[in-house]
Amino acid sequence: MSHVVSPIREHLVTGGKSYSDVTHDICKQVEGEPTKEWKIAFAISCVIFAYGAYCLFYTWWQGIGVWGLNKTVGWAWDITNFVWWVGIGHAGTLISAVLLLFRQKWRTSINRSAEAMTIFAVLCAASFILAHMGRPWLAHWALPLPNAFGSLWVNFNSPLVWDVFAISTYLSVSLLFWYMGLVPDLATIRDRATTKGRKFWYGLFSLGWTGSAKTWARYEYMSLILAGISTPLVLSVHTIVSMDFATSVIPGWHTTIFPPYFVAGAIFSGFAMVQTLLLITRVVFKLEDYITIEHIEMMNIVVTVTGSVVGIAYLTEFFIAWYSGVEYESYAFINRATGPYWWAYWMMMTCNVISPQLFWFKSIRTNLMVSFFLSIVVNVGMWFERFVIIVTSLHRDYLPSSWAMFSPTMYDIGDYIFSFGLFFTLFFLFAKFLPVVNMAEVKSVMKGVSSNFPKKVAKKSKSEE
Amino acid sequence: MAGHSHFSPANVEEHFEFTSEGKRRVIIAFIVGLVATIIGIYLLSKGESGGHEIAAAGHEAAGAGHEAAQAHVSGGAVSHQAGAEEHYDWTNRIWANVWLNAVFFTGIAVVGMFFVSLQYLTKSGWSSVMKRVPEAFPKFLFVSIPILALVFFFKGDVIFHWMHHGVTEVGNANYDKIIAGKSGYLNKNFFLIRLLGFGAIWIILWNMLRKKSLEEDLIGGTDLFTQKVKIGTAFIVVFGASSSIFAWDWVMSIDTHWFSTMFGWYMFASWHVTTYAVIVLAILYLKDKGLMAYVNENHLHDLGKFMFAFSIFWSYVWFEQFLLIYYANLPEESIYFLERWEGHDKIYKASEVLMVLLNFLLPFLVLMTRDAKRTRIFLKIAAFLIIAGHYIDFYQMIMPGVLGKHGGYGLVEFGMVTVFASAFIYMISAELTKASLVAKNHPFLPEALHHDI
Amino acid sequence: MSSTTNYILGVFDDEDEVLHAVSEVKSKGIKIDEVYTPFPIHGLDTAIGHERTRLPIAAFMFGTLGMICALSLISYTMVFDWPMIIGGKDFFALPNWIPVTFEGTVLFTAFGLVITFCISNNLFPGNNVEPLDLRITDDKFVMAINLDKNKLGQDEITKALKSSGAIEVNVK
Repeated sequence: MSHVVSPIREHLVTGGKSYSDVTHDICKQVEGEPTKEWKIAFAISCVIFAYGAYCLFYTWWQGIGVWGLNKTVGWAWDITNFVWWVGIGHAGTLISAVLLLFRQKWRTSINRSAEAMTIFAVLCAASFILAHMGRPWLAHWALPLPNAFGSLWVNFNSPLVWDVFAISTYLSVSLLFWYMGLVPDLATIRDRATTKGRKFWYGLFSLGWTGSAKTWARYEYMSLILAGISTPLVLSVHTIVSMDFATSVIPGWHTTIFPPYFVAGAIFSGFAMVQTLLLITRVVFKLEDYITIEHIEMMNIVVTVTGSVVGIAYLTEFFIAWYSGVEYESYAFINRATGPYWWAYWMMMTCNVISPQLFWFKSIRTNLMVSFFLSIVVNVGMWFERFVIIVTSLHRDYLPSSWAMFSPTMYDIGDYIFSFGLFFTLFFLFAKFLPVVNMAEVKSVMKGVSSNFPKKVAKKSKSEE
Repeated sequence: MAGHSHFSPANVEEHFEFTSEGKRRVIIAFIVGLVATIIGIYLLSKGESGGHEIAAAGHEAAGAGHEAAQAHVSGGAVSHQAGAEEHYDWTNRIWANVWLNAVFFTGIAVVGMFFVSLQYLTKSGWSSVMKRVPEAFPKFLFVSIPILALVFFFKGDVIFHWMHHGVTEVGNANYDKIIAGKSGYLNKNFFLIRLLGFGAIWIILWNMLRKKSLEEDLIGGTDLFTQKVKIGTAFIVVFGASSSIFAWDWVMSIDTHWFSTMFGWYMFASWHVTTYAVIVLAILYLKDKGLMAYVNENHLHDLGKFMFAFSIFWSYVWFEQFLLIYYANLPEESIYFLERWEGHDKIYKASEVLMVLLNFLLPFLVLMTRDAKRTRIFLKIAAFLIIAGHYIDFYQMIMPGVLGKHGGYGLVEFGMVTVFASAFIYMISAELTKASLVAKNHPFLPEALHHDI
Repeated sequence: MSSTTNYILGVFDDEDEVLHAVSEVKSKGIKIDEVYTPFPIHGLDTAIGHERTRLPIAAFMFGTLGMICALSLISYTMVFDWPMIIGGKDFFALPNWIPVTFEGTVLFTAFGLVITFCISNNLFPGNNVEPLDLRITDDKFVMAINLDKNKLGQDEITKALKSSGAIEVNVK
């Protein structure tokens, strides 16, 4: 790695940290007692999780009739939440893979927690697939397994089956990528362990890592190849999710721009979620020297760019709906903007397209409170985007006599709450028991990007005494 | 790491000389292309090249039978080649070719600007050493934008179905309800305003960036850098909107009835990867001349990765547009692919297969390994494949709609692309001589000179 | 690491120095066993003289295998075992199969690659290694020289390590 870094770049690690300081700063919350804030936050998320689990259990027990679906709108919050979570689950692997390929050094302090966030978000999404099924104990029927019903296989021509493969591949490959990234850091904790239990558990999961040059060389190759295949994988996941809609012939759903536009939206919401979590994490764990204003600004720039891409896609859809001259297509879009769900449409437009434009001002994109607020606004907007696409396209059937509205029941809401409980419970566990910043990667780029990197000279003279 | 540290900003200045020998070669290529075009035109006028015209008059429906039937089902999406047929004249092929090449080379020129802007926006260090090459590309816009405007103004009705006489006039024999519905957007004046307006903004922003870039060589400092970041950002915003609009205008509206929301990004993907290939070829040419020695295999590796990645990206965009249309099989959409696959006496089918081969499979296999991305000959092969493949891609986008079954690869096609390519090379070479080949005061230059991956 | 072998460990505290020291020590005719570092150092493996890894080839093979497996399964089920007309397409509806084929390719590549990596580096759960120096995973760079494989004696090697910048030299 070249250490020549242009002086006009901002520092990515501040506070004159040495390698040992990095180890210490990151390991201390793994090794220390949980803080009071952590305990309170964890308790709250457990309560949310428990309430949501009750709702989900009730949904499974009674069947999905407890949701507010009707004969016209047969797909609403369940699929909205699924797409929303999958979208959020795009940023982690994207940060790790794409930014690794582009050698963006700012990724190093944030990729670990972003990847963890990804995995938890995909798990939340998967919970909605299971919730959808009505009979989740038969979930394995979605897999091409030999079975007792003759040669009855899954339909490989169905986008829903593509989705099963895409989500499960994405989840397992992301998990693998994340875990392999953790191995060297787990070895660090193993070697610092003062208790037997810690030495055993971190020793078990660090797989006997020694840090030899040969292993590292192979490790770098492996990471690059994993990044290389994960990049198209990330694109493929939301592409396939979008095809759940786009392969149909429903106005507002069948449009060729859906795949890349869903991907852009996914990156957009995922980065916003990473931003939300990092802004909390850096304060709670005092990581201001690793997750600097520069990182936050970079994230905000990505949010602005992807938000604008999504905005262009909205306008393209609207324009082509008119241009196509297809009556149903034009109606679908006019109905979105001016029909009974106009508020959802304008909520989406305001949150996703207009609000990120505030980040054009440097003072706003470097302001922590505003960044935090806008990162939440973006995810509210992205939830409404999916709601708009799904519900407004369905609620106006081809037969006006079937036109209907959708209103959620407490189980629609409760199952959504479940996913938040799951997400935050897992995230807090991660933040307590695993290093939230990739120590090895931060150390590997520190020369050049760190301010006041300790000079070698002083130490050397000492050692020669 | 070690090896390149002897380069310092002071001794990287390097000038490309466009020698009279070089000029002579480019001019000869230009003349050869021109002669080929003229012979091709002569043959066309004798009716010896297209061949099928005589038989075509009555039973055009036979070749395009499938589409005609499809179009019928859709209730109104009348297949376009019927229109092309009525208006066919042998000179159409000339204008179709001028249009094709002008669109293709405009793309290469403007994506040069896009590339440089993107490097500023993302604060990329490695590319600062070679950014002078793509920075010269937009010079060609001074030629290609006027050509587009003139061809559109004088011969637009040859290329665009929606400009045919009377299509928007109620009661006219040619009246077409769908096209009339689009006339608020597709009309001669608005089209020209968009073309010249965005074209002018592109050129102005490029001029600003170029001026600041040359100024930086003289005075240095980081103020100019931040100014260029701003210009680059402004360009990306403009280009984000205008590239889609131009894709609809210049290419999608040829098949006037047809529409695809993806099309803007699809055409952009095609332009984009072509430009990377052209950048690679230009740099390798300069390196073969003994220039740009500081662009080492690490930089080539990065460019190779970009070519590889964007070939895959293009394939992704192409495939998903195809898949969604194939899957839903709505007549008004699938006619586009049917026309290219089995319409027009199947003359476009081979190109369609060849295109996917050249643009996806071959670059994928050639550039897959690390060593290939660092080896000049592999990069050259891949770049040539990509450029040829994307020329065919544009050919496939434009020709079936304009020429229908009268298309083909003849002397006009080969001659015309040679004419445009040599004009492009001439203008870019002349532009390259105006400044040092390396932006010696670029603030990221030290990073690029120590680039090692 | 077996306890019977004799290792001389040169401890460094800077990645550029250890990289430099590798070539310096090698130039004195000393064979370096391995260098242990807290993070990857670009070019270190080639400086020591390790061969380039063939992991990319393995990844390609696994990917090809995944593609073949996915396509075989799909065509077996959709064309031969239980053909059905779906959406008016041919039984052999290749475009529809690309998504699952792609996922299969990626899945096989990723797992094949990581498993190969773990096997070739002797990484598995329950592998309780005794690190040569506990600070390797923190901030020290340790050059391990096997005395049995070198002609030079302990003193000379220690001197060479010291002169090339080692902050301490230990024997293990």
